[in-house]
Amino acid sequence: MTILIAEVPPIRAEDLTPQRPWTQRPKSFWFAALLGIFIPLLILGGLYATTDIAPPLLLIVFYLPLQLIGAAIAAYSTKGKHGIADSSIIVFAVGATILSAIVLGSMLVTIIVRGFEALRPSFIFQNSVYISPSTPLEYGGIGHAIVGTFLIVGIATVISVPLGIATAVYVTEVRGRAVPYVRFFVQAMSGVPSVVAGLFVLTVFILTGVLQQSALAGAIAYAILMLPTVARTAEEVLRLVPEDLRTGALALGSTRARVVLNVVLPAARTGVVTAMLLGIARVVGETAPLLLTALKNDQTVTNPISDPISALPTFIFDNVAQPYPDAVTRAWGAALVLMILVSVLFTITRFLSARKPRK
Amino acid sequence: MATLTWKVLPVAPDTPIRDLSKSKKANRGDRVFNTTITGAAFTSLAVLAGITLFLGAKAVPVVQDQGIGFLTTTIWDTTGVPPEYGIAGMLYGSVLIAFIALFIAVPVSMFLAVFMVFMAPVRVSKLLTNLVDLMAAIPSVIIGLWAFYILVPPAEGWQDLLNQYLGWLPLFQNDSGNFTGTPFVAGVVLAIMMIPIVTSVTAEVLKRTPPELINAAESLGCSMWTMLRYVALPFGRGGIIGGIMLGLGRALGETIAVFFVLKIVYDINFFNIIESGGGSVATLIVAKFGETSGDFEVDVLLAAGFFLFLMTLVVNAIANLIVRRTERLKG
Amino acid sequence: MEEMVVAMKELDVDLARQKGETKPIEMSAHGVSVWFGKHKVLENVNIDFPEKSVTALIGPSGCGKSSFIRTLNRLHELIPGAALAGEVLYKGQDIYRAEVDPVYIRLSIGMVFQKPNPFPSMTIRGNVLSGLKLSGLKRSDHDALVEETLTSAGLWKEVKDRLNSHAGDLSGGQQQRLVIARALAVNPDVLLMDEPCSALDPASTLKIEETIRELSKKITIIIVTHNMQQAVRVSDHTAFFLAEENAPGCVVEQGPTTEVFGNPRDQRTLDYVNGRFG
Repeated sequence: MTILIAEVPPIRAEDLTPQRPWTQRPKSFWFAALLGIFIPLLILGGLYATTDIAPPLLLIVFYLPLQLIGAAIAAYSTKGKHGIADSSIIVFAVGATILSAIVLGSMLVTIIVRGFEALRPSFIFQNSVYISPSTPLEYGGIGHAIVGTFLIVGIATVISVPLGIATAVYVTEVRGRAVPYVRFFVQAMSGVPSVVAGLFVLTVFILTGVLQQSALAGAIAYAILMLPTVARTAEEVLRLVPEDLRTGALALGSTRARVVLNVVLPAARTGVVTAMLLGIARVVGETAPLLLTALKNDQTVTNPISDPISALPTFIFDNVAQPYPDAVTRAWGAALVLMILVSVLFTITRFLSARKPRK
Repeated sequence: MATLTWKVLPVAPDTPIRDLSKSKKANRGDRVFNTTITGAAFTSLAVLAGITLFLGAKAVPVVQDQGIGFLTTTIWDTTGVPPEYGIAGMLYGSVLIAFIALFIAVPVSMFLAVFMVFMAPVRVSKLLTNLVDLMAAIPSVIIGLWAFYILVPPAEGWQDLLNQYLGWLPLFQNDSGNFTGTPFVAGVVLAIMMIPIVTSVTAEVLKRTPPELINAAESLGCSMWTMLRYVALPFGRGGIIGGIMLGLGRALGETIAVFFVLKIVYDINFFNIIESGGGSVATLIVAKFGETSGDFEVDVLLAAGFFLFLMTLVVNAIANLIVRRTERLKG
Repeated sequence: MEEMVVAMKELDVDLARQKGETKPIEMSAHGVSVWFGKHKVLENVNIDFPEKSVTALIGPSGCGKSSFIRTLNRLHELIPGAALAGEVLYKGQDIYRAEVDPVYIRLSIGMVFQKPNPFPSMTIRGNVLSGLKLSGLKRSDHDALVEETLTSAGLWKEVKDRLNSHAGDLSGGQQQRLVIARALAVNPDVLLMDEPCSALDPASTLKIEETIRELSKKITIIIVTHNMQQAVRVSDHTAFFLAEENAPGCVVEQGPTTEVFGNPRDQRTLDYVNGRFG
């Protein structure tokens, strides 16, 4: 009898631990990359210190070509000819990313820094009655605009969420003949400029005397803008509800209506909430429609149909270009509050949609 | 031979008989439900039709009164007898600004999307996706505020430089030496608003490049550039163009962010993008609404809004057609 | 006992000598282990791939064959979280050394995938030549190259009149042969095939197998297959992969195909080739 055993080479230590040799680059690569970044930067710094060429010119006319050449040389010396095109893409891609990051960073930092100057309890809780653009920051606030935003957005939510969900239910559950058309119209509606939504409400409700410029009128305009967002997000989440759940319930003798109301919508409730929040986030900062349909008011207004009303965006709008520094600081303060609202909505939607859909 | 017989059992007299005709009743609830849902689903159609009809109804008398000149002239004479209005400068201005924005936003968005999808490590990519979405969520009035105080001052310097070095191009001519309220600045602001929209659509499209095609390209020794050029971009072309068109539609209708940085001049500014002149329809409506001198002028603004609506509708319809066609081609 | 233990390697070499097949080794894997994140899918694989021969990697699904074949031309590293240990030698050089350009490796060691994946936006001709474009290789005689590679892939007669039609118009089997032609156009020494016939009908499968036999006169072929008859039909050598429950996959047995199938030394191989599991 012969026993055959495969010849196994001795096991080395590095054969037992996972390695990622492709992340190891030869020293020449790091050397070339470092020089490719460092030399252009050095020239940039030198030119900036010794000449008075305007910085944008310096960046675009001097630094960018230098950086492209530097990267190309580095790439050629390590990867050969086929690395050159890639090096340019990398330079442009990293450049685009840094540029966008600077823009976003500048916005967020300015909003926070300038906004904090205005922030104090009275700023949040008081309204702006008796406040003129030149009144010092110690007096008056945006309480009325916060109330206005909540009132308008609240009414808009009550109007648009049921309609948006119904639209989604039509597309995913009822599946009528008109599904492609409904989807097309929802898509088209999402392209309606916000100012046009305001003009529409103005024509239909205000110029005809049905409503006056008020929270309700503004809310209708907001609802027009919210509806497509809610409908499309809700459609996506309803599609995620497993088909078995529907057929199972139907097999038990449920009616279509019961299946939707008692099975499908509850199964997708997180998604439905997400749809609502995304809709709110879409409109909460909209200004143009309110300028046409809700006007402004320094008083705190709680009656949705009686008076014009201010909201955060319109408050900011009114104070942006004022020649008084305190008014501008108020605008930044309101912008910070609005941005906090948007961020909270944004974070909640991220959190909700990151959760796995329930099976 | 045994025969098999069936015994027929009589129904017990107290067995309740199922009346199947009653089962229709349960369906009535369904029918009400279906009708309600179907009705609600047509809200979007109703709103679109309403906008077309009501704004159109306001636009017709304006165009009748002003003639075709409403769309082809640039006069804005509210006190004349009779008053004269023309929005050609505004319509052209909207398009001009939107294209300046495209010119800046598209390359930045493409490269940003490529960085997110093909270069950045997974964590960085996720972070960037969130930041891009956050940028898209910043209200336009805040962007306008930021632009007015932070962007405009340096932007005047940039335009001065453009004029100094490239002033021989008609595009960068400026005889006044004044660089405020120009289409260029408005275009930069719109570009900032478009970048997140175009980037997220492009990134989404690039992410959907089939892995088997990327594998094939890698196994043939592709570089980043050749993979993009021959595989990812041809595959995503339709979706990317659709995304750009969606951004364009948004840019045409954007009002508030542009409002603070664009000066309205009743004139067609064909291409002097760093000299103030022209305007945009959406901004005109907001700027003039507060100071209208009578019902007719409100109607004029409504008519302008009607044409803005038509313009964005067409752009969006084309965008959707492109996106849909490419989706169908891919099955 | 000592003399009874015969190293398998020596046996292989003996058998090869008997058949007059002493071919130099083109590629070899030494102690290759593969991880995805913390999950180890393959352990200590040692295989030599002789030049101008066909080596079949067989085994039940989930045993790490496909992961292994992707380590051979550095496609493995494109998966986030991927890691490996051991070394892969091509012409005696470790392909994972820092100085080695993966592009060079992937051009020398081509690959054909399970699902036919021609580039849908390109024509048939464009697909064949796509490797040149993608890798930046220069060749002047494009027409000759297209004819030569399509002929090698057994597709020339069928498509010579419609080279400019879209690749998507071809049938699945034709697409797979087009993909083979595409891989051949960059002139590789080794061709990796990851279950190239599993998505095809029997007639197309036979054509591909003919192509493989024909190609093996010129280049080295490593083919992953589920189909044991296919392994018998096309391959000179076979390695049998197996993953025991909750353990990473490993090579249970390897050797000349006739030996592995005709006279397996391991009970598990015997069971597998006789269709008792997998």
